[in-house]
Amino acid sequence: FGSKLQKKLEDAKVFIVGSGALGCEFLKNIALMGVSCGDQGKLTITDDDVIEKSNLSRQFLFRDWNIGQAKSTVAASAAASINSRLNIEALQNRVGPETENVFDDTFWENLTVIINALDNVNARLYIDQRCLYFQKPLLESGTLGAKCNTQMVIPHLTENYGASRDPPEKQAPMCTVHSFPHNIDHCLTWARSEFEGLLEKTPAEVNAYLSNPVEYKTAQRNAGDAQARDNLEQVLECLEKEKCETFQDCIAWARLRFEDYFVNRVKQLIYTFPEDAATSTGAPFWSAPKRFPQPLKFSVADPSHLQFVMAASILRAETFGIPIPDWIEHPKMLAEAIEKLIVPDFEPKKDVKIVTDEKATTLSVASIDDAAVIDELIFKLELCTKNLPLGFKMKPIQFEKDDDTNYHMDLIAGLANMRARNYSIPEVDKLKAKFIAGRIIPAIATSTAMATGLVCLELYKALDGGHKLEDYRNTFANLALPLFSMAEPVPPKTIKHGDMSWTVWDRWILKGNPSLRELIQWLKDKGLNAYSISYGSCLLYNSMFLRHRERMDKKMVDLALEVAKAELGPNRKHLDVVVACEDDEDNDIDIPQISIYFA
Amino acid sequence: FCKNIVLAGVGSVTLVDDRVVTDESLPANFLILPHENHYNGKTLAEVCCDSLKEFNPMVHVAVERGDISTFGVEFFEKFDAVIISCCSLGKKKLINQKCRKLSKRVAFYTVECRGSCGEMFVDLQDYKYSKKKLEETIECQIEYPSFEEAILVPWRALPRRMSKLYFAMRVIEQFEDVEGRNPGETSIADRLGVLKLRKELCETNSLDESQIPDALLERLLTDTREFPPVCAIIGGILGQEVIKAISGKGDPLKNFFFFDAMDGKGLIEDISGPSTRS
Repeated sequence: FGSKLQKKLEDAKVFIVGSGALGCEFLKNIALMGVSCGDQGKLTITDDDVIEKSNLSRQFLFRDWNIGQAKSTVAASAAASINSRLNIEALQNRVGPETENVFDDTFWENLTVIINALDNVNARLYIDQRCLYFQKPLLESGTLGAKCNTQMVIPHLTENYGASRDPPEKQAPMCTVHSFPHNIDHCLTWARSEFEGLLEKTPAEVNAYLSNPVEYKTAQRNAGDAQARDNLEQVLECLEKEKCETFQDCIAWARLRFEDYFVNRVKQLIYTFPEDAATSTGAPFWSAPKRFPQPLKFSVADPSHLQFVMAASILRAETFGIPIPDWIEHPKMLAEAIEKLIVPDFEPKKDVKIVTDEKATTLSVASIDDAAVIDELIFKLELCTKNLPLGFKMKPIQFEKDDDTNYHMDLIAGLANMRARNYSIPEVDKLKAKFIAGRIIPAIATSTAMATGLVCLELYKALDGGHKLEDYRNTFANLALPLFSMAEPVPPKTIKHGDMSWTVWDRWILKGNPSLRELIQWLKDKGLNAYSISYGSCLLYNSMFLRHRERMDKKMVDLALEVAKAELGPNRKHLDVVVACEDDEDNDIDIPQISIYFA
Repeated sequence: FCKNIVLAGVGSVTLVDDRVVTDESLPANFLILPHENHYNGKTLAEVCCDSLKEFNPMVHVAVERGDISTFGVEFFEKFDAVIISCCSLGKKKLINQKCRKLSKRVAFYTVECRGSCGEMFVDLQDYKYSKKKLEETIECQIEYPSFEEAILVPWRALPRRMSKLYFAMRVIEQFEDVEGRNPGETSIADRLGVLKLRKELCETNSLDESQIPDALLERLLTDTREFPPVCAIIGGILGQEVIKAISGKGDPLKNFFFFDAMDGKGLIEDISGPSTRS
C-alpha cells in the first residue's frame, strides 16, 4: 500500500468501543497493522466490564490471572506488548449520555475513525448518533455464534447504522406463559419469573415495608390499584400465613408451593375450562397450540419431586436467614420430613377469572373494592408486624446462573420441568435449562476473528480516504453453513426540497450568534416555514403560541440558556436545534439539524 | 488459526515449523512478542508453542522437529486433522497421500495467505456427518477428491465464473515447483518467467490467458508476506472448519475457499472430478 498510507495508519486517532471478544481481536490486528503507532496516532479503548472466566474462550488477550481486572487495561497492555509503538489509552467508562463529559466534543472532533466492539444494540445506536453528529466514520460489526456481520458507515457516503432496524424479537404473550404454555421456553420463562417473584421481589417488598412502614403504607394507599393490593397481599402472606421460622416451615412452604403450582392451579384451570370447553365462537378452547394440562400427584418416591422441594426449601430458608441442616441432601430424611406435613385438599372455585387475552400485559385483575381491601390488608399487616423479632429483615436472592452449588438452576429447572410435565411438554436437563433460561448465546473465537479481519481491511479504506461507495464492503457470513455474502453499502436516503438536497449526515450551520427572527428568516429564504424549534427535549418556539412572539428578537443561545436551562460549558461554541418546517403547501419537510454558532 | 482451535479446547496441537524466528516473522504473527529478544535460534514452532499454551492450559501443545515430508505414514496416524501451510506443491501432494493411505480418516487442509489473498483447500475423503434440518438431525455423506485429483481437473471443465485466484495460485505453485523455490520465495523479478508459464498452462488447458489477469499474478508475486487481517479472516474460517470436521456436525466447506481483499469477496469453489461430485 505504500508508506503514505502506512503513515496515515500510524497517525490515526481511533476509538474502540468495547474490549471483549471483538475488542481483543481488533487490538491484535491493529497492533500488527501499525495503526496508531506513530507520534500523532492515538488509540482509545473503553469498556466498563471486568474479566470473567467464561470470557477466556475467545477474549484471548486475557489470561487466568487477569480474572477480576478491568478488560480495557489488560487488553491495552497485551496489545502494547505485541507492538510497543502502539499509543493506547484504556478507559473504563460506559459510553452513553452520562459520560459525555468524558467523551466530550473535543474528544469526538479529534477522532479519525470509530470502531464498534459492542454487545448490545442500544449502545450501537448511541454511538451511531454520535458519529452522525460529528460526521465520523464508524466501522460496525457483530457476531452471534457462527454468524457475523460487518457494516461500514461512512459520512455522506453510506446510510447510518440506525437507518435499518431488525424486527423486534417476539415475546410470548403473558397468558401463554402464565396459563397456556406449549413449549419448554414458556415453562422456563415462567420459572424464571416465579423465581424472581418468590425469592427476590417479595423479600425486597417486605424489606421496603419494614424499613419504612409509614411511607410504604401511604404509597400503597395512594396507588389504590390492583398492583398495590397484590403487593400488600404478598408481603402479608410472607410475614403471616407463610412465615418461616424453622427449616421445617421452609419444607412445608416448598411442598405447598408444589401443590399450588402443579396440582391446584391446574385443577382450577381445567375446572374453569374443561377439556371439551368451547370459545365464544364455538371452536374448541383447547385447540393447538394450547395443550390440555393434567395435575401432578406429589410422591416422595419421585426423585424430581423431592429435588424440587429440596431446592425450594433451601432457597426459602436463605431468604429468611434460617440455617440449612446437613441432612437436606439425604432423600430419605427429606421424604420423612415431607410426610409429616398435612396438605390441605383443594376444591376448584366457580368464578375465578383467568386471563386468556393474548394482548393482556398484566395479570392483576382489578376489582371495584381494591381500596377497601387495601385498608384491610394494611390493618392485618400492622398486627402481624408486632410479632416479628426486632430488626427482622429478609434476604432477597438474585438469580445467578453460573454457580452450580447455589441451587438456583436446580429450582428453575425443577419449576420448568414440573410444569412441562403438567402440559406433556418434553423436559430438559439442568444444563439445557441453564442455556435457555440464561439466554446464553454461544460466542466463539472463529467468527470473531473473521469479522474483525474483514473490518480491518475496510479500515484501510476508511483511513486512506477518498474511496467511493462501491469500494467498501459489508459482509454477512455464517461459518456453520458455510456462507459468505459480501455487498456494497447502501447510500443514505436523500431528501430534496427546491434545488437543495440533503441526507441524514448534513447539518446546516448558522454563524454570527443569530436571533430567533434571523433563524426563521434564514429558513424562509430557503422556502421553509419553521413552525417549531426545540433544543433537546425542550420547546423554544412554536408558532401556535402567541407568547412566543415575544422571543423573536432574543438570541438563540439566550433562549436555550433561559428556556431550556441549557448547560453550555466554557468550551462550547455552538448549540444544535431541531426545527420542524413546512413548505408553502403545508407539507412537512424533514430538515437536518441546525448548528447555531454563538461564539 | 492455532489460536482459534486452542481456545476452542481441542485435545492436542502439534506444531511443525523449523524455520528460525527472525524480525521478519514478527509483523503478522502475534504469538511472537517483539520484546523477547532471547530467541536466538528458536524455531517458529517452539516460540508459538509457548505462547499457545497460555491460551488454554488444558490443551496439550507440542513441537515436532524435522522435515515433514520425511515423516512416515505412522506419524500422521496420530492426528485427526492435518493442516499445512507454506508448503510446496510436492509436499502438499505427498502429505495428502500419506493421510489418505491410513485406514483412519485424517482430515487434510492446506492454507496459503499471500498478501491480500488467501486460499484454503479441504480434503475430508469419505465424510459422514450429521446436520440439523428444521427440527430433526439428518445424516449426510460427501466425497472429497485429494489435492492432486482436484488440481488435475482440466481447467476448461470448470465453470466460467470460477475464481481467478484458483488459476493464479496454481501458476505460481507450478512456477515455484519447477524453479525449485521455497514457497513464497518469488518476487516481481520473476514476472516474465511466471507469465511464460501461464501461457504454457493456459495453452495446455485451453484456457484463455485473460482468465488469469496480469495484475493478479503481479500482486501475488510482490506481496508474498502474510497480512494480518487476511490471516484473521482465513484463520477464523479454517478454525471453524476443523472444529466442524472433528465434531462431525454441520456442512463442511467443499473444497476450496478463496479470499481477495481487493474486491472483498470470499468464494467457495467445488473443484472435483465427475466421480467425486457430491
